[in-house]
Amino acid sequence: MEQILHNLVIGFGVAVTPIHLFYALVGCLLGTLIGVLPGIGPVATIAMLLPITFNLSPVAALIMLAGIYYGAQYGGSTTAILVNIPGESSSVVTCLDGYQMARQGRAGPALAVAALGSFFAGCVATLIIAVAAPPLAEVALKFGPAEYFSLMVFGLIAATVLAHGSLIKAIAMVVWGLLFGLVGTDVNSGVLRFTFGVPELSDGIGFVIVAMGMFGTAEIVANIEMKEKREIFTSKVKNLWPTKDDFKNSWAAVLRGTALGSMLGILPGGGALLASFGAYSLEKKVSKHPEKFGKGAIEGVAGPESANNAGAQTSFIPMLTLGIPSNAVMALMIGALMIQGIAPGPQVMNEKPELFWGLIASMWVGNLMLVVLNLPLIGMWVKLLTVPYRYLYPSILVFMAIGVYSLSNNPFDVLIMGVFGVLGYICAKLECEPAPMILGFILGPLMEENLRRAMLLSRGDPTVFFTKPISAGFMIASIALLVVVALPAIRKKREEVFVEEG
Amino acid sequence: MVPYAAGGPVDLSARLIAASLQQALAQPVVVENKPGAGGNIGADFVAKSAPDGYTLVMGAIATHAINPALYPKFPYDPVRDFRHIALLVQVPNVLVVSNDLPARSVADLIRLAKAEPGRLDFASGSTGSTGHLAGELFKQLTGTYMVHIPYKGSAPAVADLIAGRVQLMFDNLASALPQIQAGKARALAVTTAHRSSFLPELPTLEEAGVRPFDLTTWWGLMAPAGTPQPIVDRLAAEASKALLAPQLRERWRAMGSEPPTIKTPAEFTAFVEHERKLYAELVKRSGATVD
Repeated sequence: MEQILHNLVIGFGVAVTPIHLFYALVGCLLGTLIGVLPGIGPVATIAMLLPITFNLSPVAALIMLAGIYYGAQYGGSTTAILVNIPGESSSVVTCLDGYQMARQGRAGPALAVAALGSFFAGCVATLIIAVAAPPLAEVALKFGPAEYFSLMVFGLIAATVLAHGSLIKAIAMVVWGLLFGLVGTDVNSGVLRFTFGVPELSDGIGFVIVAMGMFGTAEIVANIEMKEKREIFTSKVKNLWPTKDDFKNSWAAVLRGTALGSMLGILPGGGALLASFGAYSLEKKVSKHPEKFGKGAIEGVAGPESANNAGAQTSFIPMLTLGIPSNAVMALMIGALMIQGIAPGPQVMNEKPELFWGLIASMWVGNLMLVVLNLPLIGMWVKLLTVPYRYLYPSILVFMAIGVYSLSNNPFDVLIMGVFGVLGYICAKLECEPAPMILGFILGPLMEENLRRAMLLSRGDPTVFFTKPISAGFMIASIALLVVVALPAIRKKREEVFVEEG
Repeated sequence: MVPYAAGGPVDLSARLIAASLQQALAQPVVVENKPGAGGNIGADFVAKSAPDGYTLVMGAIATHAINPALYPKFPYDPVRDFRHIALLVQVPNVLVVSNDLPARSVADLIRLAKAEPGRLDFASGSTGSTGHLAGELFKQLTGTYMVHIPYKGSAPAVADLIAGRVQLMFDNLASALPQIQAGKARALAVTTAHRSSFLPELPTLEEAGVRPFDLTTWWGLMAPAGTPQPIVDRLAAEASKALLAPQLRERWRAMGSEPPTIKTPAEFTAFVEHERKLYAELVKRSGATVD
């Protein structure tokens, strides 16, 4: 304990020097900005800023880049709530209820709860990193291909709760997502699948592109259709602040989301993303009124938002303690360290305590800054909704196109976004939810990769999923969940969970 | 033009050299990433750009030596469609084994592999990567059999190596070095003909009796074919000057790269030709393809 205090003292000593506060602020501001702009993500931004960091000290560079990363997490939820466009991949779930809240004129509370929930989650996650980073990193190492596969099976089954409409449609959408996920180069054999000779497809379809198309473009098309309803939506903007009831409803969701996010964030490979989906499913499961989900339930915003922020923070753990990046942003951070002549790895913590603890302390400082920055901005964001659609939507479309293009500087991607926009519109007409499809799209390729790797490692022995304790745990939980869903006796209750209206 | 996503080592060195060139040439040098199809999309884009010296590409071992052998219907010729300006980075691969494996030397490893053929796994960042091909070459030269486990990138492979789920890997030095130094994994040999200055005690595979074995991951500046000689010479001169600057050298070291042994554009072209032949042979023998 004393050691931890000592470390935190070192950390805050580094983090609150004016120069580092300044870079944290710059990072947070930039991050919020790019988070709000759909499609322009932290990866592209950090890459562009890398050369600037040459002349900074390693601590300042890392503090600024980290600020961009979690700033983007905050900012991403803003567009998700206001215009149903996931600014960042992790805010896909926030669209579900956040946007509905905005449509009911409750954009203010949704934004406030998202910001406060994220802040709380950020604080807790920072503390977790400070106290338990090294042992947690060991836990992350315990997850091999078999464990990942089982975790994802569990996640996929749990996520069928995401749908609020017909279960059949939800499953169809998941399968569809899985199929889209198959496009690209097979990891094991290097064979190209479903690419139809188009080289741009050989790395698969980008997740952001699909999400923007299915949610964003489709939403805009659908909105153009409804002339009168749009007016109601803008005129109904009411209170900016959450009511007492809102707080009462969301605090537990924030706690659960934080816990789930902190755990899943540690795992390399899409942990934070899985966390937000997981948190949403969890909230819907434990809620006393699951029928409200998808129609503007505040828990549906609070849980996933806390989860994705907690996950974003704890995903630093494998990078800082093992030198293993858990996502593209972390890979860039490692790049930033390498530019500074620091080889990131297990020894960084011991050799450069001021870097390690300074970064951790600055995360907390950065979260505080973000909440201070974002709360007053809520009024402004909500006003944005009163901008006439004929101005707002074309500009959003332009930003989306720029964002998607910037992913790999390839116009082909913008085209693909358009295709998914049309698909998304058709799905909306057929009352098929895009969220399960997105989940299938993310999890499908990961599941396949890990399944086949696990089978390769076990030389084709499928019992490996049940003989490894962690994997077996997830498998048993999945089966239990399936039984619950399938048992006719419980069927009535399930209907309540899944069916939105009558 | 960097034919890979932002943040990787090729991208990093491109941004560093771009900053140096910008100063030397007194005009802005912009780094643009155009990833896809193992780097082929970006490289092909440059191959078909105007040869005016304003569009350059970071051509790498993948785009200019391995991929042409790996992909059928390859869109460009790595030797004839490019002017090879300057080799920037040469990073050796290292044979690293999990700490759980009771092998202290290459000879131990071969013994283990021969005792139980097919029990050992070797991981790599992807099918057709240097790590994969080095492993295949090792198998051929030693007459052993090990199972190749491809990953999506080197990072998750390293994680499984540290955890002991895979036993060995021919990882590039930059990503393996921190783990070796921290004692999380054990290095047995380097894949180059000469020892690395980072791990001077570590023998080469050739010294350990596995020969001929000389694989290096490399990348460098290239321009479309037809770029005028004066421009190529000017860029080559500025690039090699930049490489000598202490600031850049230090950062190159952080990436595990030694100062490149190839200095002139002509040598570079010969080198690319040699590498392409070498990997065409290796890929054919390993049976790896992408279609």
